[in-house]
Amino acid sequence: MTEPTLKDRVEELIRDNRVLLFMKGTPEAPQCGFSMRVVNVLETYGVEYAALDVLPALQPLREVTAEISDWQTFPQLYVNGELVGGADIVEEMDESGELAELLGVEQPERPAMSAKQELQADPQQSPPIQIER
Amino acid sequence: MAISLDEVRLMIEASLPGSKVHVVDETGTRDHLRATVSAPQFEGLSRIEQHKLVKKAVQSRFDDGSIHALSIKTSVPG
Repeated sequence: MTEPTLKDRVEELIRDNRVLLFMKGTPEAPQCGFSMRVVNVLETYGVEYAALDVLPALQPLREVTAEISDWQTFPQLYVNGELVGGADIVEEMDESGELAELLGVEQPERPAMSAKQELQADPQQSPPIQIER
Repeated sequence: MAISLDEVRLMIEASLPGSKVHVVDETGTRDHLRATVSAPQFEGLSRIEQHKLVKKAVQSRFDDGSIHALSIKTSVPG
């Protein structure tokens, strides 16, 4: 009997976990801002998800996910066996309500959302910096 | 190694004819870029497939290290 390859194991993980996140670090201690952004979004939905830290085998996992999904940067969120995307896509789908639909849950109530929008608006509200010679 | 924002824009526009592309420098170091792309080719594709089209357009500049990170926002022209 042949040993399962890394690709076999990754495919199995994707198949067996309805919501699976490949990330740098762990949900408790993300090692990359993009991974943290996806964790932050997922946590608000209260869904069960599996997280795999890619750092111990970064290059092999890049190669395997490139083969499986034609995508090699992390984080990668898979739902129902399909690659959804990384931080940009997850945040976009979170805001549009598509992520709730995909996960089959209600769009979470989020007071933090308005705080985030305020944060984004802030730089525009602050007066421009004048540079005098 | 920095890359000009115009070069990135032109690469995406060449790869996706008819697209509208806007590229900004997120960090001031010209290697963390954000591209906003509206392209007719995105019609009917999932977001990840749309992102792949954009990424492929500039893949050579990732490979040579000119771009470290590219945030992408896609839309289908309305």
